[in-house]
Amino acid sequence: MTDVRAPETDPFDPAAEPDAPPRPGAASPAGGGFGLADWLKWAWRQLTSMRIALVLLFLLALGSVPGSMLPQANNPSAVQQYFASHPALAPWLNHLGLFNVFAAPWFAAIYLLLFASLVGCVVPRTFRLAGSARTLPPRAPRHLARLPRSAEYATPLPPAEAVEVAAGVLAGHGFRLRRADSASPEPADAGTWVSAEKGYLREAGNLLFHLALLGVLVSVALGGLFGYKADRLLVQGTTFADTASALDEFHPGRLVTAADLGPFTITLNRFDASYIASGPQRGQPSAFDAQVSYTEQPGGPARTGHLAVNRPLSIDGAKVYLIGHGYAPQFTVTDARGQVVYNAPTPFIAGPSGNLLSEGVVKVPDAQPEQLGFTGVFVPTAVDIGGTLESVFPAADNPVVSLIAYAGNLGMDNGVPQSVYQLDTGGMRRLTATPQILQPGQSLKLPGGRGTITFTGYVPWVSLAITHDPGQLPALICGIAALGGLLLSFMIRRRRVFVRARADEGGTTVQVGGLARTDASGGFEAEFASLAAELRTACQQGRHPQPEGE
Amino acid sequence: MPVNVALGHVSNAFLIAALVVYSLSVVAFAGDFAYGRPRRAAMARGQQAQDRAAALTAVGAPGRAAQAPAVPEAPAVPEPADEPAADSMPGFEVPALRAIREAGRWVLAAVALSLAAVTAHTAAVVTRGLAVHRAPWGNMYEFVTALTCVAAIFFLVVLIRYRAWTLGVFVMGAVVLTLGLAETLIYTAAGELVPALQSYWLDIHVTAMTLATGIFFVAAVLGFVYLWVDRYTRRVAAGRAAPGNGIVRRLPSIEQLDRLTYRTIVFGFPVWTFGVIAGAIWADQAWGRYWGWDPVETWAFITWVLYASFLHARATAGWRGRRAHYIQLLGFASLIFNILIVQTFIAGLHSYAGVG
Amino acid sequence: MPSPVLKALSSRVPLARALSSRALSSRAGRRTVILAAAVLTAALLAVALVATFAGGGSSGVTYLDRNDTAVLYASGHRPLAPEFSSTTLAGAPMRLSSYRGKVVVLNFWGSWCDPCRAEAPALAAVARHYQSAGVSFLGVDERDSQASAEAFIRNFGVTYPSVSDPSQVIALDFSAVVPLAGTPTTLVIDPSGRIAGAVFQSATYSELTAILTKVTGKGG
Repeated sequence: MTDVRAPETDPFDPAAEPDAPPRPGAASPAGGGFGLADWLKWAWRQLTSMRIALVLLFLLALGSVPGSMLPQANNPSAVQQYFASHPALAPWLNHLGLFNVFAAPWFAAIYLLLFASLVGCVVPRTFRLAGSARTLPPRAPRHLARLPRSAEYATPLPPAEAVEVAAGVLAGHGFRLRRADSASPEPADAGTWVSAEKGYLREAGNLLFHLALLGVLVSVALGGLFGYKADRLLVQGTTFADTASALDEFHPGRLVTAADLGPFTITLNRFDASYIASGPQRGQPSAFDAQVSYTEQPGGPARTGHLAVNRPLSIDGAKVYLIGHGYAPQFTVTDARGQVVYNAPTPFIAGPSGNLLSEGVVKVPDAQPEQLGFTGVFVPTAVDIGGTLESVFPAADNPVVSLIAYAGNLGMDNGVPQSVYQLDTGGMRRLTATPQILQPGQSLKLPGGRGTITFTGYVPWVSLAITHDPGQLPALICGIAALGGLLLSFMIRRRRVFVRARADEGGTTVQVGGLARTDASGGFEAEFASLAAELRTACQQGRHPQPEGE
Repeated sequence: MPVNVALGHVSNAFLIAALVVYSLSVVAFAGDFAYGRPRRAAMARGQQAQDRAAALTAVGAPGRAAQAPAVPEAPAVPEPADEPAADSMPGFEVPALRAIREAGRWVLAAVALSLAAVTAHTAAVVTRGLAVHRAPWGNMYEFVTALTCVAAIFFLVVLIRYRAWTLGVFVMGAVVLTLGLAETLIYTAAGELVPALQSYWLDIHVTAMTLATGIFFVAAVLGFVYLWVDRYTRRVAAGRAAPGNGIVRRLPSIEQLDRLTYRTIVFGFPVWTFGVIAGAIWADQAWGRYWGWDPVETWAFITWVLYASFLHARATAGWRGRRAHYIQLLGFASLIFNILIVQTFIAGLHSYAGVG
Repeated sequence: MPSPVLKALSSRVPLARALSSRALSSRAGRRTVILAAAVLTAALLAVALVATFAGGGSSGVTYLDRNDTAVLYASGHRPLAPEFSSTTLAGAPMRLSSYRGKVVVLNFWGSWCDPCRAEAPALAAVARHYQSAGVSFLGVDERDSQASAEAFIRNFGVTYPSVSDPSQVIALDFSAVVPLAGTPTTLVIDPSGRIAGAVFQSATYSELTAILTKVTGKGG
């Protein structure tokens, strides 16, 4: 991870690589006559420099901060609230795109530039790595004692043999070797030598990490183009078919249309929730379980399944998640003419007061002679506390509904869609002075003979999230590849070991030297020490380990 | 399964014991600082030159026994001699137990107390887990307890491996402070988790985050020490402070601190990366999408980017040293901000801190 | 001067050797890599842009209004209406294929759906007008309870039958052949059982009559 780019100062090998060509160019164009090409080249070199990469990383982190503090576009009601409470500031923030940071063009510019910088650096280095697959380690330097790690020992073996033994040991450890050849211009008393190098995988791991990050970006883009998210509230005992008109919310990717929705149907057979009954966490849910049956195609075989939080159902390429639940009290409404004009479970939505105290609306647009509307509060476990009805437990142990009745014009006939959870009482008169409390089975008779409403019971509902993301698996694979590359680049160190043997009075002196390039995880000292000990032992025993393949 | 309240109390008792013994160990480390043997902090692996010098005098029996305690005239960064002697094998350092004994009574006491404290701390974490029948990092209190345990264990390994006795007072002191604050401010009785969190991916994700945070905790403390020593060095260079200040002389050198911090972060960064990936897998199972820019997710991303910037900065001329450590500390600050502020106050799917 | 890479390609020197580090370290080699990266980026961008903005545009479809929500399909391009069998609200069994040989106007509605309530009078008027021409009307009641549906029918005086589709499986079937976005949707099916025209929103009198004129050949 430390050097994706060759840093400006490369301390790796003081014993130069004589075969390497000189590195061209300074950081900025020199001299006069800047053409457009020169400026572009300069800009590109700046973009792919470490410094700019660092700045871009900072900007990426900084740019994410408002995305976590301000309400974002995926929570539109919170955004509206912000506008309401900060009327002067909010429009400015909106102009800057701060209510949808992660889809804003300036944020995209930051990470696109960052990835351009990354690509511009990684691609040439990949070519270089491929090209270096066959290059040999450099020649051994003259004075091995000047290297960061060095050792010396004496051996009775002649120099050539000592070097061969050393080469054998090093080859056994997987080093790539380069032996002294007769063409090298060295004085006779310098002895013979062997160079060894290991750890090329480090650069490969480094590049793998950065390329895998690019892969993650592409996977996210894939999901954004070809994926979709949808929501649906499903009452127990009802079925829904996965079509655009059946979904409460549908957020398709750029290239997704309603025709791409899988043709499955899901029936909610039964939903159970259990809550902690006592102790400090009383009222917290302890388990949810939804029994569903589904068909993957209309007319296909029906399968049953369980849906729970953390346990999605995979149907026909899409995943179905259990997100929440609530109560749907059932009402029957008869109008002034005695006709039953409404008879259905009506989903109520839990409010902020907790314990699943829920609010909802009943709209009866075809009641005669006047349209009827009701706002209601459903209290699962109702207890009268100081004159108000409160819910003290989320299970429906003592269910009660409180209703306010209205008559008049619901505003539904002009064609403008309304929310099914809100009643517009602008065109209506209130019929009941105070909220009327009903227990299951009880009826409320409306004044003026306008009809009755009966609270017949309740059933639970669940809210389902249906998602499809083709970029999910590629993103996971790239993430794991990135982690693998990271570990490789941290754990493997590129190191070189040199062995020189020269004849001395009383035998041969063998010098061993070694150095490691940016030893991230440490440990080269130990490796060198044990290598040196092994070399010495092998030489002193006069052992010839089987020579590895030349 | 109901919570085992008795075991919960046992866990609390262990934690209080750990706090007390940690405090004692901090006192012992401080005592070594003030009254211990005068020496430059010896990080054995960087002391090869001294080892070699000692080995030369005793052929075949390298060791520091005859030289302990070595007077710190030689610089910490080893300089190989120009002309090596006839036989100079890299010396193997003195085994750990002997090094501890040789470092003096204060260090011996401090290490023993630290070991005892870490044992009690680990017992507290384990019994808490047994009490609630799940991994014991499901709310903020448990998380802080666990991460300080990880930090203490990690630091003890570093302490003994690198013989960095003088850093003990800082890291253990930070552990005591953090634990004490956790105990008084955010204590939560053991309880069951909301069903949204009952998943084995919880264990994997939060375990990884706990480990990484503990490691980054150590790196942050070391970063502060680095900045302190760096500031002192610059003041000496500018002539505004006298060299040979007692406290700073006893701390490891700038290079050693930098290398130690770097290696710590190199250890923690892959763990954090893995934790983010595991969190994405968990989020996909629970909420239907693997990344939704939830505030906690966003701040984990910011932390990741900042630590990545630290690693990049170390390879950029002009950004090594002090500036890189500022970045590293900024990264840790974002981590703390994530835990304390974002998870508690900013609404999101992650709000399970269980505080209040 | 041509880069070593290009020279290598022309002289059939192995590419690997040409791409060796020595070749790339030279200025010309790096320029080549930069050029390659720029071209690749540009190509990716172009693909992305085209994919995003390239619209549909199939042949054989005529749009009758500016919003592209009233559509006529030319013969030869008419999708086959999927068969369904269900029960009417009155309880009688009903199959779509029983309407073969006649023009059918299939209207997806719901009593809770405000635009459906707004278009109901227009539908009733068209139904009356084209009754003598032998055009049948059939409603598909989506996501409604029996009581609410019957109340709607009584209220608006709907004379034609409707089948009940509470779980919207019929809508699901049709969404495979036409872009059925929701309610209300009105489809005009020709005597051979193929969808000849559609209104994907609240239908107006003029839109429906325009489609029916084309399909039946009789004036409005």
